[in-house]
Amino acid sequence: MSRWFTVAWVAFLFSIPIWMTDLYFLHILITTGIFTIAAISLNLLLGYAGQLSLGHVAFFGIGAYTSALVSLGFDLEISDSYTLVFDPQPVWLAFVSGIFVSGLFGWFIGKIAFKVRGAYFVIVTISFAEVVRLISLNWIDLTEGPMALNNIPPFTLGVPGLWEQTFYQKIPNYYLVLVITIIAYIIVRRLVLSRAGRAMIALRENEALASSVGIDVTRYLILATIVASAIAGAAGGLYTHYIRIVDPDIFLFIYTVTMVIMVVTGGKGSLAGPVVGGIIFGILPELLREVASPEVQWIIYGVFMIAIVFFLPKGIVPALTAWWADRFKSDGHGSKAVRDSR
Amino acid sequence: MAEFLQHCLNALILGGTYALLGIGLTLIFGIMKVVNFTHGELYTFGAYMVFFFVMVLGVNFFVGIAAAMILGIVLGALIEFVLLRPLRGASIDTTMLVMIGAWIALQNLEQFTWSGIAKSIDHPFPVEPLVLGPVSVSWIRIFVFLFALTLIAGTYFLINRTKLGKAMRATFQDRDTAALMGVNINHICTATFALGSSLAAAAGALLGPVFIVMPTMGDGAALKAFAIVILGGLGSIIGATVGGFILALVEELGAGYISSGYRDAMGFGLIIIILVYKPTGLFALKERIG
Amino acid sequence: MNTTATDSAPILSIENMAVHFGGLVAVSGLNFVVHEKKIVSLIGPNGAGKTTAFNVITGFLKPTEGTVRHRGTSLNGLRPNEIAERGVVRTFQKTSVFDGSTVYDNVLTGLHLRGKSRSWEILLNLSRVRTEERRLRETATEILDLVGLLGRSRELASDLPYGEQRLLEVAVALSAEPSLLLLDEPVSGMNPSETENFMEFVSRIRDRGTTILLVEHDMRMVMGVSDRVIVLNQGTVIAEGTPTEIQHNPEVIRAYLGRGSADA
Repeated sequence: MSRWFTVAWVAFLFSIPIWMTDLYFLHILITTGIFTIAAISLNLLLGYAGQLSLGHVAFFGIGAYTSALVSLGFDLEISDSYTLVFDPQPVWLAFVSGIFVSGLFGWFIGKIAFKVRGAYFVIVTISFAEVVRLISLNWIDLTEGPMALNNIPPFTLGVPGLWEQTFYQKIPNYYLVLVITIIAYIIVRRLVLSRAGRAMIALRENEALASSVGIDVTRYLILATIVASAIAGAAGGLYTHYIRIVDPDIFLFIYTVTMVIMVVTGGKGSLAGPVVGGIIFGILPELLREVASPEVQWIIYGVFMIAIVFFLPKGIVPALTAWWADRFKSDGHGSKAVRDSR
Repeated sequence: MAEFLQHCLNALILGGTYALLGIGLTLIFGIMKVVNFTHGELYTFGAYMVFFFVMVLGVNFFVGIAAAMILGIVLGALIEFVLLRPLRGASIDTTMLVMIGAWIALQNLEQFTWSGIAKSIDHPFPVEPLVLGPVSVSWIRIFVFLFALTLIAGTYFLINRTKLGKAMRATFQDRDTAALMGVNINHICTATFALGSSLAAAAGALLGPVFIVMPTMGDGAALKAFAIVILGGLGSIIGATVGGFILALVEELGAGYISSGYRDAMGFGLIIIILVYKPTGLFALKERIG
Repeated sequence: MNTTATDSAPILSIENMAVHFGGLVAVSGLNFVVHEKKIVSLIGPNGAGKTTAFNVITGFLKPTEGTVRHRGTSLNGLRPNEIAERGVVRTFQKTSVFDGSTVYDNVLTGLHLRGKSRSWEILLNLSRVRTEERRLRETATEILDLVGLLGRSRELASDLPYGEQRLLEVAVALSAEPSLLLLDEPVSGMNPSETENFMEFVSRIRDRGTTILLVEHDMRMVMGVSDRVIVLNQGTVIAEGTPTEIQHNPEVIRAYLGRGSADA
């Protein structure tokens, strides 16, 4: 079933701009897609490797700022006599550097943060994001602080001089985001279904046992962090060249929380979970906009997340998958039969 | 030099309330192993309760503070009973996620109830600061400092000299053994969460009149509380107290001499450095494994 | 890694191991040797230091003193996964499986060391990655067949009955291709017939070339399967020999019954 379902679903997604005339809704889909990519990346770290990394928005923001700065160019006074002048680079190069720098930070923070575990780890990750936010707020020479970086160039693909395509309009941006989402999904899927992915899941389920069969726990934790932060950086890059303005508020903890809610309600540790969660929490605010103020919406989301943890702890997608499987299980060795017999 | 002394004095005053925040969280964190994201909201709650009683109902200032603390106990106990007790035995991730949900719901409830406009609270102390040679300090802050010290001493006494405290310490050391020895773990958990929450509410109640009251004030407070817990080591009241003062000092001096914009970052930078070199914190009572 | 190991060469040697926890002495002056392709049991009253020794050997605990050697090379300071790479794998006293995963995935995970794919190769889905994955999956099926759990492949490890979970644990440890397998109380909680099956299973593993070091309280298992028995008490070796020799050793009897009663 799943392969045809996936093909149909992807074909549907590709078809949307053809029949969807409401450009505002397309805009919603684009921002939803960007956040979904971030959720897919967080899922690798939170869902598969089982790490309570609550600083994830930092990588999203670092990717956004890096891509913005590289594409805009900047001047940095290193000392009284020397100013570093960085010329604007093509957007695709900026985008790639955003991914690279995010991944680098991921590696760096991973090396530090994984010296501690559990609750301490949570705090370190939150602190990291806060520090990055404060730096972006205060290092005005580089980031313009609260005045924001604006006039960021839109995405451009191509070879200068030969052929160039600039993505000013919504439709090309939609396809760009869709393609990157699919790539991110495939990356995580390949990783997770491989030997490396098994190592990550193993260290989540039983770290001591994983270690005893030869799994280098730290190495796989760092691998998960690098891949997750790089993908988040890509999401940040897409954000920056679509919205074309970026300010320190991008590092607010509330965005990490949004990603966490997407992953947890959708189903952490499942591939489709963050996609479902991303769609729900990308579109829901729009649907509720007429009837509920932002505060009330957030109260609903908070309660919703609590409800999911209490009643569907694995998330929506795994719950649906289990329900679907139970409906069709009829042989004597079915998992349901085994569960009932305990 | 006078500037330095003033910073130290400010740090002393601020440190007391920071210590309250830290002690509350380290107790909850240490005894219940819960990443309590609602801690900041109890801080906010305490401030809003004082606002409500003093500014809206016109009640006496000191009664308002007491009321805020008592309501903090009630809210804490409620949160524990409704959200945490059913999850007893669940992994730390699960409780953390529930606490995040609760934090969001609570903060937005505050915003919904009181609106986002900052509020100020009148207090009965003289506005003219007390001048002691080169330094000066306002009377309200002296009150805050003394009250905080009293609460810290009271908590220390509670944990170390009462039966309830003994039970809490036993649960912290080894929950299973404590249960076998007759300690009612459920009661202890509720009491711990209620106590920790009321200390956070007290901190909010004390600082509300000093600064201003906003729905988001709890976020910064919560992060500082986490920083203090790491600094002082999980489960250590003395550690949290010392940690609170150290954080206040680092912030004051950092803001004064380096940059005020990075004030809040000082604490975090400090934590990250400490964790890299001494992962158990400065005063940890239990060694970590692994 | 040493290539030739004669049947009488030591595969493991513990030299002067001491472990102090603050004021508590868990192990002190511990010396013993395990030879290739033998089943050696480590027995002793509770608190004698057996699991502590296991934890040190496999890198989960740092000794206060002493050296652990595997085929002559010191294991000191190595992390558990590095020690596993060298061929020393353990099971745990408390049942340890990957509880959220299926039986099949448990074993597949245990085969980690038998794979070599790098992350970038995985991301590019190179054909050598796919080939290796196929090979690993075949091996997993073989191992499950060997231990008799093939029919349970798709079930969650946590859903298995107790005896089969313990069997799965050993299967996972075996997947890592150890030359030395350390089993920590593998038959505790098993009924007599499960224990019989397990004893036979352990002998088969030894016959296929893996050395086994066993911590056990079940005397029938110890006496029935061991080539050699080492007795620990209060952190040090008090006797060693064949099962029969140990059974009649007065020191051993005294250690188990306590100082008061064996005074003659």
